[in-house]
Amino acid sequence: MYLVANIDSEICGKTKCTLCTQYCPEANTIQYDKIRNTAFVSVDRCKGCMQCVWVCDTLAKHHAIKMVMIDQLPKEQLRTALDMHYESSNLLKDSKINLPHAELVGK
Amino acid sequence: MSLDYVKVSPGFEKYIAKEYRDFVEHGPFGKKVSVSQVGTFKEALEEHPMCAGCAMTLFIRLAIIAFPNPEDTITVGTAGCGRLAISQAMIPFVYGNYGDTNAVASGLKRGLMTRFPDKYKDVVVMAGDGGLADIGFSMMMHSWFRREKFTTIMLDNEVYGNTGGQESGMTTRGAVLKMAPLGKKFDKIDMPQLAKTAGCVYVATVVPNNPRRVESVIKKAVLIAREVGPTYIQAYTSCNIEYAIPTDKVMEDANNVEKDRYQFQEYITDEAKQYLADKWGYSEYKKKEIPGEVKA
Repeated sequence: MYLVANIDSEICGKTKCTLCTQYCPEANTIQYDKIRNTAFVSVDRCKGCMQCVWVCDTLAKHHAIKMVMIDQLPKEQLRTALDMHYESSNLLKDSKINLPHAELVGK
Repeated sequence: MSLDYVKVSPGFEKYIAKEYRDFVEHGPFGKKVSVSQVGTFKEALEEHPMCAGCAMTLFIRLAIIAFPNPEDTITVGTAGCGRLAISQAMIPFVYGNYGDTNAVASGLKRGLMTRFPDKYKDVVVMAGDGGLADIGFSMMMHSWFRREKFTTIMLDNEVYGNTGGQESGMTTRGAVLKMAPLGKKFDKIDMPQLAKTAGCVYVATVVPNNPRRVESVIKKAVLIAREVGPTYIQAYTSCNIEYAIPTDKVMEDANNVEKDRYQFQEYITDEAKQYLADKWGYSEYKKKEIPGEVKA
């Protein structure tokens, strides 16, 4: 098991801060949902470096990001990089393509 | 080297990888994207094998977002950590051998200027401190003396991070490393000063703790290199493995180093200022009319 970043969308949705998306060293990992105004993590790309946690706690002072064991994540938070949507809120269950490795995440 | 090199032939959409389709539909090519929009478009950089929390990765990611025309850009790199990520982008990457990155880039840029005289094609060298300040030093200096029109970006992690921690020319005096246990006996090379002397028209030192500043510096450097002359950016990108920085303290370290020896400096010649103001509308470089002055 390993740690991944998890963003509390209730806290994040109240702000318009996008600092974690800018400071994440991995490309296409912290995405931004324009409809719900919240950042979210594509968990299969997260390397668990905790820079977003530092940014959210120290620079933004929102304390919305916590590190969570991947098997403790709620099912609806399990978004992968293949599940990117860019315009609309599109959770894993709505995805039309079959994602073989999405099911492996979390086991 | 055009928008056509990422597209899907009609009828083949369902066989193409999702990442590729995402890139065609939501990628930055042909659009103007900025660091503040990041997370809402598909970035040109893809997954790469660099260490978790590496500041060099962050800088490369920001640099690739900041390129003014990513679809008309070629990156040149060499052995070292940086090429592991730069080569994983949707931007053509040329692997120069150790030492000849700037020579390869010179030829590439001259060829592109001959082949596409009416278009801007950017060449950007991104290599480490070993690849540019030690091994590639003479090629780099000579490309500047010849005033070749491309951008050189040094990813300065102050150590040979990929081979176990030997000291490089850019390591600070007294630094003790795994393969340099007695500490370095000489000072860090003052590359920005050398770049100014060698004829670079734009020189900047940055730390990636300020994404928007990184973006503006890279945009300016690439634009100036299109017509005016060579440009040089030196970025502090700490090695959290060799210098044993915990990954969540990487940005704190960047802040401390910025205060200590990596203050943001920008050197820009008058010619380059005028070019940016006239051609690309940079209002901060427009000549201010002094009130009361009589026009001839």
